[in-house]
Amino acid sequence: MQETPFVLLSLTDTLTVAFRADAPGLAFLVLVAAMWTVAGIYALRYKDHLENNGRFFAFYLLTLVMLVGLSFAANYMTLYLFFEMMTLFSVPLVLHDGTAEAVSAAKKYLFYSIFGATLGLLGFFFIHAYGTTGDFMPGGVLDAGKISGNEEVVSVVAFLAVMGFGAKAGLFPLHAWLPAAHPVAPSPASAVLSGVITKAGVFCIVRVIYYQFGVGFLRGTWVQEAWISVALLTILMGSLMAFREKRLKTRLAYSTVSQLSYILLGFFFLNEIAFAGAMLHVLYHSVLKDGLFLSAGNILYRTRLEQVDDLKGLGRRMPWTLACFTVFSLGLTGIPPFAGFLSKWELAQGALHSGLLPYSWLAPAILLVSAVLTAGYLFPIVVHGFFPGRDACAERGDVGEAPAVMLGAVLLLAAAAVLLGLFGNSVLAYFFEIADTVF
Amino acid sequence: MMSEHWIPIAIFLPVVGGILIPLIGFCRARSREIYLMAVVLATSVLTTGLLVAPPADSVSVVRITNTIDVAFYVDGLGSVFGVLVAFLWPLATLYAFEYMAGERRQNAFFAYYTITYGLTLGIAFSANLITLYLFCELLTLVTLPLITHTRTKAAYVAGVKYLVYFVAGATAAFVGIILFYVNGGGLDFVPGGLAAGTAVLSPQVIGASFLLMFFGFGAKAAVFPVQDWLPSAGVAPTPVTALLHAVAVVKSGVFAIARFTYYSFGTAPLEGTPAQKIALSFAIFTITYGAIMAWKEVHFKRRLAYSTLSNLSYMIFGILLLTPAGLVAGLLHMLFHGIMKITLFFVAGAVACQSGLHYVTDLRGYGRRMPRTFAVFTAASLSLMGVAPFCGFMSKWYLAQAALAHGGRYAYLGLAAILVAAVFTAIYLLTIVIRAYFPGKSCEPAGRPDAGDPGRYMQIPLGIFALAMVLLFVFAMPVAEWIRSGVAGTFL
Repeated sequence: MQETPFVLLSLTDTLTVAFRADAPGLAFLVLVAAMWTVAGIYALRYKDHLENNGRFFAFYLLTLVMLVGLSFAANYMTLYLFFEMMTLFSVPLVLHDGTAEAVSAAKKYLFYSIFGATLGLLGFFFIHAYGTTGDFMPGGVLDAGKISGNEEVVSVVAFLAVMGFGAKAGLFPLHAWLPAAHPVAPSPASAVLSGVITKAGVFCIVRVIYYQFGVGFLRGTWVQEAWISVALLTILMGSLMAFREKRLKTRLAYSTVSQLSYILLGFFFLNEIAFAGAMLHVLYHSVLKDGLFLSAGNILYRTRLEQVDDLKGLGRRMPWTLACFTVFSLGLTGIPPFAGFLSKWELAQGALHSGLLPYSWLAPAILLVSAVLTAGYLFPIVVHGFFPGRDACAERGDVGEAPAVMLGAVLLLAAAAVLLGLFGNSVLAYFFEIADTVF
Repeated sequence: MMSEHWIPIAIFLPVVGGILIPLIGFCRARSREIYLMAVVLATSVLTTGLLVAPPADSVSVVRITNTIDVAFYVDGLGSVFGVLVAFLWPLATLYAFEYMAGERRQNAFFAYYTITYGLTLGIAFSANLITLYLFCELLTLVTLPLITHTRTKAAYVAGVKYLVYFVAGATAAFVGIILFYVNGGGLDFVPGGLAAGTAVLSPQVIGASFLLMFFGFGAKAAVFPVQDWLPSAGVAPTPVTALLHAVAVVKSGVFAIARFTYYSFGTAPLEGTPAQKIALSFAIFTITYGAIMAWKEVHFKRRLAYSTLSNLSYMIFGILLLTPAGLVAGLLHMLFHGIMKITLFFVAGAVACQSGLHYVTDLRGYGRRMPRTFAVFTAASLSLMGVAPFCGFMSKWYLAQAALAHGGRYAYLGLAAILVAAVFTAIYLLTIVIRAYFPGKSCEPAGRPDAGDPGRYMQIPLGIFALAMVLLFVFAMPVAEWIRSGVAGTFL
């Protein structure tokens, strides 16, 4: 059931800038709006730490505009337009501190993203030439007549387009910008960069796979296997890097690399269960990673401590922040009843039901290994925070809990993590409905 | 419909107007400006009239032999080039007033600058190969003093290089024309070329004469391996680099290639020949080569010159696909690139003028000092990268669709080259933007401390171009359709 899109601009007969509200778009929009609001409120207080507030909030809101446009995009043209604009408007958020480190990280971010978007553009060129319509259609738009004889080229292009948008979602091998760019941004910006903007890459991949190239064309091909392999590699690599990293925000950024590939893995399996699980993990990971980055922001705001090893004994100074951090850590590891368990469960189920050997058993195994690593890089922070031992060094008498607004934002996300964990089934049911439309 | 006699009037008005400047010997800048603006605007109005109501016939000005004459006419292809030139010249002249203020020998400079306008129109409206060749040669000679205008050592070296490349190119093109003519090819431009006539040429003759003309005229379009004059020519004053080496001269080369390919040879005799493949390979190579060289270059204007080199080959690639879509896409990029690149050069010139800086690495913090200038620069950079909502996206889109519709190894290679070049474009332009807006802490901008946005003679053209880039994104299709209808006759 497709409604007619609202056409803003007709560039050519077949090329339009058009908008439509459909289920996945709306779901993404709700997520964007919620996270932007929470992090925005948080930023209102955090801004004491920032220079050039006006510029920060201007680009913060402009990036939001582009994400809203992205959610409503009715065709590839519009999607590409807003995707590129979102990149450009979010670069100043990374650049904000203006340090040499921030500038080099922002350049990395910009050029990886543009390289990725260029691959996405390549996909667009081909879809336009080989598709029946430019609009997003559940099930894809490839014209069987046009592609016959060109399957191999179209497959390569589909592969490249997804890898290109995957740059935004930290997919190997275009992931290197992410651990550099996310930590240098101010914490509220890190939160939305990691929690939401990366998901824009995921959203584009969903559009490209399920609404442009189509499941039928891709299922069981080398393209699918290559995607799954890359995602699995990224999961392991991200977790290992996070485990080895000593700087808190960088550790969280590596964790994002790993977790985003959980999501992509789900979408690459091309079946309903994995699809719904991946959708759910988009939601869960947004809440959890926003929460983790905002908690890290609280810690930075009060103590200016960046290294994980310096955080011993922090639980006495900032009990609420660390308590919330604990909730997010449990969720990200995948421990029920917190948000994070159900999505991973569905992802594993989806993998097992795919019948795609050897990935159907390899994927759940790697998910488990990664969960152990996740526990390994998050729990020590909590444990040392609450139980520093006798030789604790973090005895800073003047450090107290974060300001109420900032703490409130974190508490809100923690509450969401618990509630979404408890009532995950009804959310999941909604995602299964969406899954039904594309399969 | 205007009489065909207006065509030579439009061409010779700026030529005569330019020659008169040193004869009148203006002492006051103000009176020279008024005079120049009157001449240039009159020419642009006249040209616009010719494009809106094109004369049906061609007009022969000088009859050299019974079969060879200097003749002009207005057709669809010439209109595309004509409209670009007529739109840009008055704005570039306005910019040059401010840029050249305080320079010496302004009368000579503006004389050559204005004569060039007429010669470029002569190329756009030439009706046969001889006229095209003649005016291309005249253009070389008249623009030479503009390159050496500063009379520095570097300028003379660049001038000599310019001359050597273009004379060599002209020789090759001339031999190609002769070879084509003595074997039965017609000199007059006919839509469809050979296919429209009865003459039958051997494939060897076609291939050889095509390649000779391609690399001959291609010297102006800076196709590898005859590209090296273009970055060197950046020593000229910026109005020259911006208008001539981003638009008039280099696009004369592209235009000439389109002209003889479609109006002397025609698509049928070239389609799938080794000649087409060789020419395409060189164009594709130049696309990547230019982009990579631009990335490595740190001199602002030279970087833009390498970028021009790359983009010129986008157009040639489109044209050499020998399909209607390819020709339209190539010409569309010719129009759009003209506007984008003149904007970028104008910014480089404004920066050099205001701050005395010529290297991109020195421009830290200039986004704050020259906010309007750098806002336009950012827009033009995004456009050249091919980001919506700017016109560069649309021409790239048309090129890509033409390549995909054509199919085959060369089309895919070209598309890949264009996408690779787009990434490099992002890198070599956006690093300038980032540096300008985010200089880093405790960093005092280099250059003159009072550097700010330039005066209104420079700001007006920049503003108009920025607006044009957005409008042409929205209205790219009508423009493309207009081009398509203009060149529709060439596909028989």
